[in-house]
Amino acid sequence: MLPTELLMFKVKAGIVEPRLLKPNPTNTALIARLIELFTEQLNKRRFELNEELRTLEAGRRDYRVVRGLSHILAGDHSTFATGGVLSPPLVRARLFELAQAHPPARFRRQDLLEQVGRSMGADPQEVADALYADLPDQQTLVNFEAPDPQVLLDRYNLAQAQGLLYRAYSLIITARRNEPARYRQLISYVKFFGLMVTVEGDSDYGFTLTLDGPTSLFGGTTRYGLSLAKFLPALLHVTDWDLSAALKPRKDLAWTDPTDTEWSFQLTSEDGYVSHYPPPKEFDSALESGFSDRFAKLESPWKLEREVDLVPIPGGVIIPDFRLLHEDGRSVLLEIVGYWRPDYLTKKFDRLKKSGRTDIIVAVSERLNLEKAGVKLDSFGEQVISFKGVLDPKRVLELAEVLARQPTEREKKKQSKKKAT
Amino acid sequence: MTVKLKHDRGTLITWETPEVIASLFTWDDRSQLYRAPGQCYRQVVETLRERGIKHQDEATEFKNLELRVSREIEPYLHQTEALAAWKQAGRQGVVVLPTGSGKTFVAQLAMRDTPRSTLICVPTIDLLHQWYSGLLATFPDANIGLLGGGSQDRTPVLTATYDSATIYAEELANQYALIIFDEAHHLPAPYTSVIAKMSLAPYRLGLTATPKRSDGREADLDALVGPVVYHKTPAELGGGALADYQDVQIRIRLSATEQARYDELIAQRNEFLWRMHIKLGSPDGWQKFINASGTLEGRKAMLAHREARSIAFGTEGKLRVLEEVLANHPSERTLIFTDDNAMVYRISREFFIPAITHQTPVKERHDLLQQFRAGTYRILVTSRVLNEGVDVPEASIAVVLSGTATEREHIQRLGRILRKSEGKKAVLYEVVTEGTSEERVSQQRRGEWNSNSGPRVPTATWEDVNAPD
Repeated sequence: MLPTELLMFKVKAGIVEPRLLKPNPTNTALIARLIELFTEQLNKRRFELNEELRTLEAGRRDYRVVRGLSHILAGDHSTFATGGVLSPPLVRARLFELAQAHPPARFRRQDLLEQVGRSMGADPQEVADALYADLPDQQTLVNFEAPDPQVLLDRYNLAQAQGLLYRAYSLIITARRNEPARYRQLISYVKFFGLMVTVEGDSDYGFTLTLDGPTSLFGGTTRYGLSLAKFLPALLHVTDWDLSAALKPRKDLAWTDPTDTEWSFQLTSEDGYVSHYPPPKEFDSALESGFSDRFAKLESPWKLEREVDLVPIPGGVIIPDFRLLHEDGRSVLLEIVGYWRPDYLTKKFDRLKKSGRTDIIVAVSERLNLEKAGVKLDSFGEQVISFKGVLDPKRVLELAEVLARQPTEREKKKQSKKKAT
Repeated sequence: MTVKLKHDRGTLITWETPEVIASLFTWDDRSQLYRAPGQCYRQVVETLRERGIKHQDEATEFKNLELRVSREIEPYLHQTEALAAWKQAGRQGVVVLPTGSGKTFVAQLAMRDTPRSTLICVPTIDLLHQWYSGLLATFPDANIGLLGGGSQDRTPVLTATYDSATIYAEELANQYALIIFDEAHHLPAPYTSVIAKMSLAPYRLGLTATPKRSDGREADLDALVGPVVYHKTPAELGGGALADYQDVQIRIRLSATEQARYDELIAQRNEFLWRMHIKLGSPDGWQKFINASGTLEGRKAMLAHREARSIAFGTEGKLRVLEEVLANHPSERTLIFTDDNAMVYRISREFFIPAITHQTPVKERHDLLQQFRAGTYRILVTSRVLNEGVDVPEASIAVVLSGTATEREHIQRLGRILRKSEGKKAVLYEVVTEGTSEERVSQQRRGEWNSNSGPRVPTATWEDVNAPD
C-alpha cells in the first residue's frame, strides 16, 4: 500500500477516480528504468539509491508516480542491511567515551578518529564512515528481486485504489450470483480485519453487502478505512460485483472543491485490478470435494454449484456449501455438516430456522445420534439427511425433488434468454 | 430481568435496555443487539446500580493490583492538591501543571490510590521508557510492560505510545480500569481520540502543561477524560519546584555567500507567491502555498523555500556559535536542540556528541539517556524527540539551534532545564540567524510576535556577546 501523499486521483462532481498507470510506452520505459536502477544500486547505500531516484524524478511531471513505484520496489522487493566490518554501536560508544575528556571541538575530530581507529585496527575514514552506518539511509541494498513489470504495474494500481479507501466510511458491495462466487473466504476476511457485514437481498435480484465496523453505528467514522483497504484484495477473488464507498473529502488539497461534504468511489469486478492475496481453496473439506466428485459421475438433470448463495438472517448470513439447480429452473440449497458438537449443531439449526427458508437441505454426518446428543430437530427434521461416512448424492436428489423451490418469473426469463443465445 | 453487558471491539453491547440506560445505547440491526461506545461503561453501570437493576457484567476484564510503593517521597503541596482534586471529581479529569513540576509523580500517586489495571499513553518513545523506568522504581513488584517501539506487552500496568494504543484500541478497551493520558493535549486528534472513546475505563487522568491545541479541540478533553480538575501556572508555583533560569538569545549573521544564495532563493519563492496572489503573512497563506506546490512551478518555489530555510537553520555560523557555547560551559550538563535530523547528525559527526533522534534504536536511546543521567555523557544533541516531558533533571544548559513557531515547543523546551536542582543556574541559549525569516519564528515561539511592533526585547548580536565588557 502507499502513503497518502503518493496517492493520485481526480474528483469530478464528487466522484473520485484513481489515476491508474496504463502500460503505455512512457510508463513501460519508466518501470524498466526503475527496475534497472534498483538492480544497479545493489550493494550500495540507501541514501545513494535515494539520490539516484531524486535525480531520475527531477523535472518529471510524474515524479509522484516515480516515488510510488519505488516505494513498492523498496518495500516489497528489496532487502536492506547494515554493511561494513566495524560495528556502528561500538564505534559510537568508543568515540563518545573518548570525546568526554574535553569540551567538544572540531579541531579534535581527526585526533579522536585516529585514536579509535588504532584501537579497532581501522583507518580514521573507516571509523568516520561506520559511525552511523546503521541508520536506515546508510544501510546497504543487499538483495533486490526484480518483479515482472506487469506485476509491479498491477500492484501499483491496486495500491492507488486501496489508498482511496483509507478515508472510507463504509463499503457497499452489490454482488450478483455467479459461479463460483467464493463468498466464504470473503466473509472470513471480514472477521479477520475486524469489520462487520450486513447482507440484504436475494440471489434473484442480487445481494447488497455493507461493510463497516462496530463503532460505525454511532456516526460515520473513517476508523475502519485502513481495514477496508486491506479487505479490497480479498474482494477481488469474488466474481461479478460493484462496489461503492463513501469517502471523507480531502480538504488539504487546493484543487478540490472545499464545499464537498462527501466523495464517492466506485469500482467493479471488471475494472482489471489484480489481487495479490492467495486465492481461496476450491473446497473447505474432503467431505465436500468427495461429494462433488460423486455428484459429477451421476447422470442427472441437476447441476451442482458451489457457494453461490448468501442467505441473510437477522444478525448474520449463511453461506450454504452448494446449490443444486435443475434444468427446469428449480433449485435447492445444500449444507454438509461433518464434524459437529451438539451446541454447534443446535445453533446451526437455529440459524437455518431463522432464515425461514424451506429449500435448504442439511446433511449431517451421523457421528452421534442427534436425539441422544440433545439436538432437537422439531419441524426442521424433514430437511435433514443423516449419513454415515459417505454422503450419497442420490439421497440428496430425492429430497431435492421434495424441497426444491420453483423458479421466479424473473429467473424463468433469464433462463429462456440463456437458452435462446 | 437481568441486564447482561459485554464488550465487543471497543463498544459495550447488551440485549436488554431498561429505560434508565436506553438513551445511551443504539439498536444495532447488523448484530441484533444494543450497542454503546465503550466510554459509556461507567455511566451505564452507575445508573444500573443506583436504580438497583440486576445486571451481569461480562464486559470488563479489569484486574486488581497490589501496588506497594517502594520509595516514600514527600509530595509537594501542588501534587497532593492535584491528587485530592482528581479523586474528589470521581477519579476523572485533567491536571494542568508546568513541565518539571512532577506530573509523573501525581500519576503514580493516583495509581497507588486506584490499584486497578492501568494503561498509560505517552506521545514519544522516550517518554515510554521514562515512564517504564519510573514505574519500575516506584512499584518494583508490579507487572509492568511496554506497547510501542517494538514491544508488544499486555501487562496489567502497560505504558503505550498514543500511536500503538490507537492501533490496538479495540483490544485494550476492556482491559484497563485506569487510563492515564500523559501530555493529554495529544488525545483530541480525530485519529487518537478513539483510545478514550473505545475504552471502558471508569477512571481517567489527563496530564498536561498546556492543554491548548492549535485546532481548538482542547474542549474535547472534557468529554474524553473529564474537565480540568486542577490548574497551576509556572508563576503560581514560583521558585518552589522550579529552578531559575537565564534566557540568552544569540544572533548570528549569514556569511556573504550564504546570504546571497538565501536572497536568491527567497526572491525566487516570492516571485511565485506574488504571481499566485499568496500572502504568507495571512492566516491561510501557508496552507495556500502548500496547496499550490502541486504544480511544477509551485514545487520549485517550495524547494527554494526549503533550501532557504535550511540555510537559515543550518548555517555554518550556528556550529561556530555552538562550539563557543560548549567551550564556555566545559563541565555542565548540556542539551542541544535542533529542528531537523540532518543537523543532529551533522553535529554528532563533527563534535562526537551522542545523538538521539526518532531513528535511534529503542535500547540505544534508553542507554544514552541513562548515561546522560549518570553523568557518563555530559552533552546530548537531539531533534524534537526530547521535546515533551522527558525527564532529564541533570541538564543545566540548553542550546536551541532552530525551532518551529509554536508556543508549546518553547515552553516544553524550557521545561528541560527548569527542573529543580540544588545550586544550579540554568541557561537557555537560543541561536537565531539574523535577517532571515527564522527570526520571526523565534519571536512567535516566545509568544511575543507582533507584526506591527516587531520584537519587544532588544537582543545582542553574536559579536556583542563575544565583545569584552
